[in-house]
Amino acid sequence: MSTATGTDRRPVRTSTAGGTAARRRGSRRPSAGVRVGKGVAVALLLLFTLFPAYWMLVSALDGNAGRGSSFVPAEPTLEHFEFVLTDGGFDVFLRNSLLVALTTVLISSLLALLASVAVARFRFKLRTQVLMLVLVVQMVPLEALVIPLFVQVRNLELLGTLTGLIVVYVALALPFGIWMLRGFVAAVPVELEEAAYLDGATWGRMFRSILLPLVAPGLVATSIFGFITAWNEFVFAMTLLGGETQNYTVAIGLRSFFGQHSNDWGAIMAASTVITVPVMVFFILVQRRLASGLTSGAVKG
Amino acid sequence: MTSTLPVAAPAGPGQSPGPGGRRPFGKSVLARVRPWMLLTPALLVLAVLLLWPLVRVALFSLQDYGLKEIVSGERNWIGFANFVEIFTSEQLWAVVLPNTVVFAVLSVACTVVFGTAVAVLLASLGRVWRTIVSSAIMAAWAMPAVTGTYVWVWIFDADRGVFNHVLQALGLQDAPVNWFTDRWSFYAIVLLNVVHHGFPFVAITVLAGLLGVPKELLEAAEIDGAGAWRRFFAVIVPQLKQIFAVVIILSTIWDFKIFAQVYLMPGGAGSNRDVLNLGVWSYTESFGQNRYGFGSAIAVLLTLLLLGITVVYVRTILKEEEL
Repeated sequence: MSTATGTDRRPVRTSTAGGTAARRRGSRRPSAGVRVGKGVAVALLLLFTLFPAYWMLVSALDGNAGRGSSFVPAEPTLEHFEFVLTDGGFDVFLRNSLLVALTTVLISSLLALLASVAVARFRFKLRTQVLMLVLVVQMVPLEALVIPLFVQVRNLELLGTLTGLIVVYVALALPFGIWMLRGFVAAVPVELEEAAYLDGATWGRMFRSILLPLVAPGLVATSIFGFITAWNEFVFAMTLLGGETQNYTVAIGLRSFFGQHSNDWGAIMAASTVITVPVMVFFILVQRRLASGLTSGAVKG
Repeated sequence: MTSTLPVAAPAGPGQSPGPGGRRPFGKSVLARVRPWMLLTPALLVLAVLLLWPLVRVALFSLQDYGLKEIVSGERNWIGFANFVEIFTSEQLWAVVLPNTVVFAVLSVACTVVFGTAVAVLLASLGRVWRTIVSSAIMAAWAMPAVTGTYVWVWIFDADRGVFNHVLQALGLQDAPVNWFTDRWSFYAIVLLNVVHHGFPFVAITVLAGLLGVPKELLEAAEIDGAGAWRRFFAVIVPQLKQIFAVVIILSTIWDFKIFAQVYLMPGGAGSNRDVLNLGVWSYTESFGQNRYGFGSAIAVLLTLLLLGITVVYVRTILKEEEL
């Protein structure tokens, strides 16, 4: 494997004119026009990317939300948050969602890891068919599953319970988890495994000491996806939980703030913020590992 | 490639050690059973919770399946009557299919092109700005579809939305406009929402690929006199074929079955018949009208449509490389 993977800062061997700083970006020093253009592009991109989140926050903090529209809170207040977390019932919804999402992540990551090792590391009959199956079930639309699973969960008398929801979410998170982890497992050089065997390790030992640590970034990424799937899911929560308000997850809890004629936008945005911010912070914190997990190889030059 | 056989049919002891010698313990039974031991839990879950329901939805689609049948569990076979009703319905050809297919094509194109452009921009930035911008992108990605949709609804709200407000302040319109009643403006908002939520995945994945393209290749192309566009299309794109294939597959699959982004918009839950797409139509017929059989038939159509697309893509991938 060459040393070219990742953002390497190693000096380039054939360094021609232009300092290492410019070489690092792989081009000559850009002209002023290009740099201004790039600056404008970055500014517009940031505006487009962040505006919805910004607007959500501003509306949530504005006592006047829904009556006037200004780009900063006209009457800064936390009353919407207070309302949402007490009378609005979001304390309960948050707890439900957290329980559902964490359980889903634990179960689905474990199952996905085992399965991905099987498809990435072993050649066996039906392997390609198994991979196809995993790829194909990912495209199944939830609307096709929601009808039979509703009937199934109803027959099991699990309608309105969190257990029914967790079981469904594990299945939803699993195919993507397997598909993603398979890439991470395959990226671990076989040479490392073989070295472990030469040193006398059993398969189990090799799995624990070589594969697991090297796949850890992939596991983190997969867990994030599983968590987000469960946290954000809406169709099944709406259908399976029905009228059991005390078991609502955050995604459907939001709907309680919509009135017949007017919507309490301050409260809706405050609740949306409560739902979004933890996921966002989590996402940004792990993004470095996510990105490096996608690109890095284990053999250092 | 030698394939070790599954448990049921143990291979002849004489033949396995040689060809199976890629793995140091290729000869042991344990090694042959191991992949299946690892796979079983996941396959069980997939079979019970995804495959069996798929079979059932196909069975429901051939029945007049309503609340009565759910409670009693009896069967009421009506053959292909549900499908005949769908295909002879004006609703399907004039509204639902265009809303699903045209929208998916447009949104995949926008998402992939925009996401790739952002990836190229990110790759050309310095370390600090790349971190800042990619954090912002992550924030857009992390925004749940449900809350994201509500925020866009709020921005475009007819009475008090900031969009109408700004247009009026700029003198571009006299009275507030309800953007959700018209089919085109409705779907323009959905497109904005879907691209905003979908491009980060493309950008981050393509960026990872871009950073992995050997610098030597780009330098060689540059020395040979290739301009930036030429370098992108002649060097980078072929290198990232696999990544683009995956990104396009997943975006297509996701964009064909958007549900919450339509369902949660004003009128999107079935009251505005002009904005139905296949998914929402299926859901509202089932859970709104209690016509579970008819809804299942629509769901079967959506599934077949996606299956067709997936098969085409899988073939492309298989041509490129071994899975």
